[in-house]
Amino acid sequence: MVGAPGHPVFTLTDHFGKQATEKDFHGWFQLVYFGFTSCRVVCPRALTKLSGVLETLGDEGARRIKPLYITVDPARDTPQAMKTFLETGYPRFLGLTGPEQAIEEAKTSFRVFAQRKSDPADPDGYQIAHTAIAYFLDPGGNYLDHFPDATEAGRIIERIRGHLAKG
Amino acid sequence: MATNAESSIAAPLKWAASLPELDDLQVGALRRMLNLAGQLPDDWSGMQGPTTMQEDFGGLRFQLAYMSYALALTHVHRLPAAPGLFKRPFEQLIEKMLSPDVWAYWHYVSTGNGPINRNQGELPAQWNPVGKDNIMYSAYIQSMALMYRYLFRDVRYAKEGALTFAVQAMFWGDGSLRFSYDERSLNEHLYWAMVERGFLGIACEPNCVFQICNQPAIIGFRMHDLVYGTSHAKDVMDGYDKAWADFGVVTADGHFNMMVMEKERVVVTPPEAPWVDFWLAALMHAWKPALVEERFPVHIAQWSVAAPHDTLWIRPAVQRKLDMSPVISARDHGWAAVAAAEVGDEETLTRLLGYADRFMNPVRENGAYYYPRRDEHFDAQGRLSVMDPHTGNVLLGYARLNVKDGLRKLFEGPLSDAHFAAPALASLSKGINVRRATYDAGRRMLALALDPVAGAADVVLVFDNAVQAGMPEIIHDAADTPRVIVAGDQLEMRFNMSRRTSLVLAW
Repeated sequence: MVGAPGHPVFTLTDHFGKQATEKDFHGWFQLVYFGFTSCRVVCPRALTKLSGVLETLGDEGARRIKPLYITVDPARDTPQAMKTFLETGYPRFLGLTGPEQAIEEAKTSFRVFAQRKSDPADPDGYQIAHTAIAYFLDPGGNYLDHFPDATEAGRIIERIRGHLAKG
Repeated sequence: MATNAESSIAAPLKWAASLPELDDLQVGALRRMLNLAGQLPDDWSGMQGPTTMQEDFGGLRFQLAYMSYALALTHVHRLPAAPGLFKRPFEQLIEKMLSPDVWAYWHYVSTGNGPINRNQGELPAQWNPVGKDNIMYSAYIQSMALMYRYLFRDVRYAKEGALTFAVQAMFWGDGSLRFSYDERSLNEHLYWAMVERGFLGIACEPNCVFQICNQPAIIGFRMHDLVYGTSHAKDVMDGYDKAWADFGVVTADGHFNMMVMEKERVVVTPPEAPWVDFWLAALMHAWKPALVEERFPVHIAQWSVAAPHDTLWIRPAVQRKLDMSPVISARDHGWAAVAAAEVGDEETLTRLLGYADRFMNPVRENGAYYYPRRDEHFDAQGRLSVMDPHTGNVLLGYARLNVKDGLRKLFEGPLSDAHFAAPALASLSKGINVRRATYDAGRRMLALALDPVAGAADVVLVFDNAVQAGMPEIIHDAADTPRVIVAGDQLEMRFNMSRRTSLVLAW
């Protein structure tokens, strides 16, 4: 594969227990973030920032953007775990999980890195190092942009507004 | 007593004489690289090292790439008004990089199953040299192409298929071994390959992620950012810091880590590897100057050996082939010199180059100054005497030509629109050394110092942006009076040059 993930695909289960593929979100711009609910630093920080971005984008954002949070830790992140985690802290996001193979396919499709590493501080003894990138897809499910972890909220808002204006 | 007219002529030449210029050894080192770049395609005379199949760290790709970096640094920092001296050689180096002679090793190396990656078993052989892994080649061609674009504002490698890796063999295959990229698609490919690996880096040989070999990719990303306004380098640098935090950019005892086994997530660093410290320092100084400057004095103190005449050599790493025979090269010494130049440790640089000049058998040949290959590891006094083509052709010359913070400043992006709009030497005929090429915008004067490589030469110089502010006055000390032709905004000058000549164009 050369370059950005052109048209990423997945077949997963949303946090209400309903099967979801990329096609279910066509018609929306999509803000997609990969992470896991036991993540102590990177995911909470990113989800907080992205929630703030969506808040700033206001009604237009709410009408046109579907925020998705895909787990890289399917062993722990059941639909119910995702639901509890997101509804408690980041209610704009819809969680997506699934069997390990389905998660692997989604990761490959988005060109996401995630790898388990031992961590004695974690109750289960591991954390997952993963790509801290938010992807922005157009209503056809095609890659438009991505925002690495260090991208400031203001810059993300500016770029998303640019995409919304064109789309 | 000089007349008024003589004084007005002499003044610009006096000013020009006060400007820095390349000394004889710098001119010779540069000439060696220009001569090698100008060899006929697939003529690798003088570049062949002691190992087969491009396997060592002085293989053709490394020589070609670091020659291009040295040309870039010399152009930007020492001869900024002479793009014409560097542009065609830079193209020639990129053309050579595209030769299968340089990259076809990948067909074999991609199968892995060597001592460090045996646990993966034998992998399918690959032909595409930039498709997966092999950052030890792909980052060089990426950074060379984008550096060229940045230095010369030439879109040659932005055109579709401009970086095509092809094998067109007469007696096997069907001609389908063609892998087409350009500066943008190759850059995007590498960037997303970095993303896919969590920014730890892309492997060289399968499973082997070397810190060193991912530095040129970062330099390439930065050149892309400077040209296209992206922020790939920052993304990668941020991610790199986080990914390497698990292993340490630096070991517990203060040396740079060499590599991570990608699958096992295990760091591998040999205990005695000066080349790792110095090579990484030379490159990483572009974006981690504080770390490199803090480590360099410690490393040089640990790895260097004092020699007569206040010189210094670097104790080389001893590697072993599979049959346990030793592989020793001068690259530890060469990379130490490059790192010393980059961090601005003039004393160490002088001592390292002094050792090479005194004890490593330099030669002068066709205007070039270099150190020919020598396979004898140590001399009768037990001092380093081995020389490999990478060190002898390139690294010591790179060190001689670079300036303090040279790569770091190039990384920052020093070239402005004003640089490209200024009068400059756009091309020159063969056989001419350029020792000085500086345009002073305040004085509106372009100063050149030239000399013939061998004997007298009929010189043709072409200047860009030369008559937009009117015809320049040409002040010179040549024996022959230059003849001038103007075409558009170009000025062509012809004269016979039999000795060193100083030339000032004044607007």
